[in-house]
Amino acid sequence: MSDVILTTDDIVVKFGVLQAVSNASIEVQSGFITGLIGPNGAGKTTLFNVITGLQEPTQGHVALQGVDITKKSPYRRARLGIARTFQKLEAFSSLSARENVLVAAEQRRAWDKSKFDAGAVADEMLERVGIADVADFMVGTLPTGTARLVELARALALDPKVLLLDEASSGLTEDETEDMAILLRRLAADGLGILLVEHDMSFVMGTCQYIYVLDFGRIIAQGTPGEVQADPKVQAAYLGALAESDAEVPA
Amino acid sequence: MSLKVSPKAISAIVVAALVLFVIVSNWGGNPINAKNITTFLVVGIALGGIYAILAGGLVVTYATTGIFNFAHAAIGCFLAFAYWQCSVGWGWPTLVSLVVVLGILAPLIGIGLDRLIMRRLRDASLVVQLMVTVGLMLSFMGITLTIWKPTTARTLPQFFRDTSGVKIGDVTATWHRIITVIVAIGIAVLLRWLLYRTRLGISMRAVVDSRSLAGLTGAKPSVVSGTSWALGCMTAGLAGILIAPETGLVVENLALLIVVAAAAAAIAQLKSLPWAIAGGLIIGLSKSFAGVFLSFGKDWSYAPEAIPAVILFIALLFLPQARLETGKIKITKRTERLTKPWEALAGSVFVFLLVTFWAKGWIPWFGTNFGERSDVWLGRGAGFMVLGVITLSLVPLIGWAGQVSFANFAIAGIGAVLFSHFGGQNGDPKGILLVMAVCAVVGVAVALPALRLKGLYLALATLAFAEFTDKVIVRHPSMIDPSASGTLFKPLKLFGFSISTNSGDREAFVIFLALIFSIFMLGFMLMRRGRFARRWIALSDSPAASATIGVNLTVQKVLVFALSGAVAGFAGCMLGISSGALRVDSFPMFVGLPLVLLLAVQGVRYPIAAFMAVIGLALFPAINELLGKPPWLSAIELIGPGIAAITMAFRPEGAVFYAGRDLAGFLPWRGDAREEKAIAVAKLREQDIGRDEIGELGLTRPFSPDKISQLDRVLHVADELDEHPLVPEASAVGDLHPDGQNGAARTPVGAVNTEVGQ
Repeated sequence: MSDVILTTDDIVVKFGVLQAVSNASIEVQSGFITGLIGPNGAGKTTLFNVITGLQEPTQGHVALQGVDITKKSPYRRARLGIARTFQKLEAFSSLSARENVLVAAEQRRAWDKSKFDAGAVADEMLERVGIADVADFMVGTLPTGTARLVELARALALDPKVLLLDEASSGLTEDETEDMAILLRRLAADGLGILLVEHDMSFVMGTCQYIYVLDFGRIIAQGTPGEVQADPKVQAAYLGALAESDAEVPA
Repeated sequence: MSLKVSPKAISAIVVAALVLFVIVSNWGGNPINAKNITTFLVVGIALGGIYAILAGGLVVTYATTGIFNFAHAAIGCFLAFAYWQCSVGWGWPTLVSLVVVLGILAPLIGIGLDRLIMRRLRDASLVVQLMVTVGLMLSFMGITLTIWKPTTARTLPQFFRDTSGVKIGDVTATWHRIITVIVAIGIAVLLRWLLYRTRLGISMRAVVDSRSLAGLTGAKPSVVSGTSWALGCMTAGLAGILIAPETGLVVENLALLIVVAAAAAAIAQLKSLPWAIAGGLIIGLSKSFAGVFLSFGKDWSYAPEAIPAVILFIALLFLPQARLETGKIKITKRTERLTKPWEALAGSVFVFLLVTFWAKGWIPWFGTNFGERSDVWLGRGAGFMVLGVITLSLVPLIGWAGQVSFANFAIAGIGAVLFSHFGGQNGDPKGILLVMAVCAVVGVAVALPALRLKGLYLALATLAFAEFTDKVIVRHPSMIDPSASGTLFKPLKLFGFSISTNSGDREAFVIFLALIFSIFMLGFMLMRRGRFARRWIALSDSPAASATIGVNLTVQKVLVFALSGAVAGFAGCMLGISSGALRVDSFPMFVGLPLVLLLAVQGVRYPIAAFMAVIGLALFPAINELLGKPPWLSAIELIGPGIAAITMAFRPEGAVFYAGRDLAGFLPWRGDAREEKAIAVAKLREQDIGRDEIGELGLTRPFSPDKISQLDRVLHVADELDEHPLVPEASAVGDLHPDGQNGAARTPVGAVNTEVGQ
């Protein structure tokens, strides 16, 4: 079996009185796609921010390959092999798509001593996520879904060990989502550990091998897609969220 | 347990030691007795009270609108002059004048600013917000100078000047001071009550966090922001009227109070009203302490004036580190392409030839005597080219890395002064390298305290540094000896040429500067294609994403400040040569501001914009002379750049960008631009609904059928609408969570698309 590459141990994040994440412990394995799901505001993005160092946890530890990185700054974590995309676009909007990826590829020189041509890496990554045709467009002018793919290519240009994707499929068409799933499976097969936050349930259930369910900052269930779907607590969490918004209870 | 000393504790000890050192070494010898202490407190609290009113208003405006108003003190200045006009000029009763100025004029200015300008800045970038309010500052200064010519001396009398005041021990507190303190307390209580106890105030505080959610509290955002600006202007006017009897009714003095207000705002972390008031008091008491107990020798005689700037810097050291925020990106729908190397070369050669032709007299210069070349005009031309290099130094810093600095003119000033000691006095060009190195370090040192903070603090810090340079650094006799006369610079010996501003050499000097400018411009244009510029732009577009791809933000910011400082230092050497002699008052803070503003107006990302900015700068005095120096244009060098900057509220990207977008298609080799324009026109037809508008639909204005259909298209829900009619989001719980902060606009989509889909 594969190795555990990333772990969070008992993470707590408090914003004033609000506890956004409560004692969340998860594991990400190399070569696997792990899902992180939950209703809006469950704390998924906050947990992502803790892992990448953008949010300091009130309590708990993050470890990469068994080494504690809780105190490391975001850029050091990136250099250790954590890459991510963002729920709300954080593409470099006044650079072209190619420049976006190129910045990351050039940055990799700071820690990756192997010889590579940053320009070639950038072109390869754009090709890989399927947006080579818009390479010279300013990202600010691209549709949201395409800009998300730019973010993905940018993350991949770092040649990371772990990839964190925050709502990778939002803004994508059905076909593009399908392509994305194929790409992720291929990346995982090459040994990358992937952690995925997603709202599109068919995408999650069809792509992830292991799923954590977060609700009100707490992990209420984990397991294979089948196990999670069958879990009454998960159903209650999702149904509860719907009931609160006065929506119909689906069958 | 290991002994851990936090960096803040170390800073605290170092700062305390330094302050103590300054106090001890400049002790004036006044005994510490009841009389002196009472004087210190009475003066300090009264002064601090005025500062508190000023800072309180500034912080309230910032906290409720998200815009830091650099024009705050300048508006106060304008209102103080207006009050003088009513009460002294026209002899109206005090109370009537106060009501007219503070009760009518101030709110009108505030509401007008909000309506016409400030609302457009809500979603603008920090650079644009800063440029517009700094432009307003220069405009208000210029308008005041135009209406009330500084050639006439005016004094604003104290309130109740005929009464004797109140005895506190051996000290008499004038009624003006007592009134000041009472008014300050009243204002503080009033603002606090308004913000925390009234419905309007609660809405005002909510608006900054989320405009769409604030709509739910029932207040109209427009009423809220209008009230904020009206309040801001009223407090500024009140502070101006109260302080004018102390500082004199002088435009520069009153507008400079912005540094005081900024320092107090920094202590308040920009948002806390009680701390803003405390900050005002701290500054007032510090100044009063220095006045009563300290006596700075003649070398440091201006030091007390720099107290606010120093307090600002100290405050920055103790602010908590800013988080790397996500989800705040301001997407600009901007198309542009990289300048090709041959285009860069062609542009640089064009600029060089244009200036050379002008220096040769082949392009006539309009002025009093149309087309007549003179040494005076050549000298001014040289001066403008030097300013051009200073402006160019801002392109990587502000344009690419997004770090707004108002310090570069001051850094160039320091460079000029240093060069007069290290090489310039012998015409030795090696000194230039040394000056560049020192200025690079100065540039970094200015920025260092603010690097870990939000961009706005950096702007405040650089403004404070510009003020500190003018008041302390260049005024020390070892920097500029006021008794030295004649030229401080010998002709520069470079490759066998002799470069100076002597009348015979002046034409060659201008051509030399044109060459220098073109080379720097070419260098920057080529640099824009390289990895450093890319990384800096990335850093400016999204600091959070930059960090997560492994960029060490601090190192990159230090690099860009060093580069910018070095170029400014080089420009400083040229500034020294072109001015020949230096005076201690050559580098006031306000002189540097138009450079920054005009660069931004032309397009802060583009090196060529620096040249256009300088043409603009030269145009204002030229127009003035052409029209025969009419009195209504006397302040054009302030109002011109000021108004130009204000237009950025309407066209934020800068002239170079709009020219490129609208005119590039006319160039024969730019088929790509023609194509792009066609696409843009087509897109405009199926115009998208703005993100902001989505948030406000249904909250501040009713849904209309066409808006609904636009909304459907944006949200991709058109097909699902039959099954799941779009309901306004009810999940307030979700919105309280950090994930869903701006959720109002987006959660309905999630709810319809995913959860229900299960």
